[in-house]
Amino acid sequence: MRHTDVYAISSKDIVFESFDGEAVVLDLTTGKYFGFSDSGSRLWDALSSGVPASELVGAATGIGALGAAEIDGFVSQLLEFGLLAAVADAVARPVPSELLAQLAAASEPLKVDIHDDLADLIVVDPIHEVEEPLGWPAVKQAT
Amino acid sequence: MPNVTLENLTDYARHVLAQAESSTAHYPLTRKVGLPHLELTAHVSAGALADAVAHGFVTAPGNRTPAVTCRIFVAHPGIDGIAAPASWGQGPFTQHAFASLAEAGLRGNYFHDLDFWQFYDPQRRVGVQLMASADAFPPWEPGAPLRAFLHWEYAACGMRLAHAGTLGANGKGVLLAGAGGAGKSGTVAAGLLNGLDSVGDDYVLVDLANGVTARPLFSTLKQDPRGFARLGLERRLPAHGPLNWQGKHTFHIDDIAPRPVPETLDIVALVVPHIGGGGTSSIVPVSRRDAMIALAPSGIAQMPGERESGFRFFSDLTRLLPCYRLSLGTQPQEIAGTIADFLAGGAS
Repeated sequence: MRHTDVYAISSKDIVFESFDGEAVVLDLTTGKYFGFSDSGSRLWDALSSGVPASELVGAATGIGALGAAEIDGFVSQLLEFGLLAAVADAVARPVPSELLAQLAAASEPLKVDIHDDLADLIVVDPIHEVEEPLGWPAVKQAT
Repeated sequence: MPNVTLENLTDYARHVLAQAESSTAHYPLTRKVGLPHLELTAHVSAGALADAVAHGFVTAPGNRTPAVTCRIFVAHPGIDGIAAPASWGQGPFTQHAFASLAEAGLRGNYFHDLDFWQFYDPQRRVGVQLMASADAFPPWEPGAPLRAFLHWEYAACGMRLAHAGTLGANGKGVLLAGAGGAGKSGTVAAGLLNGLDSVGDDYVLVDLANGVTARPLFSTLKQDPRGFARLGLERRLPAHGPLNWQGKHTFHIDDIAPRPVPETLDIVALVVPHIGGGGTSSIVPVSRRDAMIALAPSGIAQMPGERESGFRFFSDLTRLLPCYRLSLGTQPQEIAGTIADFLAGGAS
């Protein structure tokens, strides 16, 4: 487990919504979407609201207890994707009891899927159905 | 004119708007279009864009006074008083950086390759599209003319242009969501040719004020040559013109609709089509998460500015509707029949 294990959403450009308990996250700057499994959604909710990762080790899910390595790998992905950032000297939030109940009902392993088919499009805001071989979209540099 | 940067973008937007308005008397044509809740007045030069404004919309019934009017100036240096557009100065360039305009109460869009600018003042409902010449516009503009301005205007009123197709019957309908190539346009054309209604195959106006309502804006439909042939449109539309910039046939919804385009469709389901590969079509539930990921990205990517509000809007829309995956069969009539049966009995 990391030295610092309290996290927050990395920037105001990371926005998310929950659908029937499943989180969808959008990075407004890159246009990448992220979809989570049910257990991943629960951990996203917890971690993004300041629950320490270490507090979630051993939490029961419908397919077994969450291990430290499993949570560490999941957190690494969220950091790598730029969705979370470590917070130094943060006040840790306790694990909400309802979260533990939701985790216990989760039936999927920790997982986050990235959807970036349109990432290039959202970066430059062009119209759809543009094909890369046409040499566009592309982020322009000043000449 | 010096190059535009994030530092002087707002000043440039105000300058371009003022310049366009002060030259009102010099635009060759004025076109008025009645749209849902809106009367659009476009000041334009003769040519493809003027034709698109005249023929590219599904006009709203004229028996009601529109709530508001907006004016759009399609400007270029061929019009007295209009200076050539400035270029973007400091790269890298992203539209997301245009959020600074929103802080000034304005909206904006820029297409780098053509120095093509669009600015809108939603409070005054005045917009300008500044181009290097009368025909220096991106190739997609005629298919959905002035789309960005409509997006900004309707978003300011709590509505949204959704990148989705629609099919319906008896006033009830489905939204067909997915990126380009998912089968939206072919499904819409198949439905229209087999008795269903539609309010659009690409962009529709969505309102969440009273359930989910979709209204038509643009009249242009598209089909790639294979789909055009498969749907029998070569025979039905023998006078079809050249392929568009995407290599697709374009035609108007009235060309194939079984009856006049409905004023509204009450949307009862969000449907994600995909090319199934099987002989018959099927409709099965899909998670709202997956439906949202099918609906929102292209809609947000194509609507300059207000990405976060768009994300929230499409999230609300997705939560209001049951969501399904439509595996498309190969026969247009069978696809349309599957959707008609779903609307008649299966949609909840």
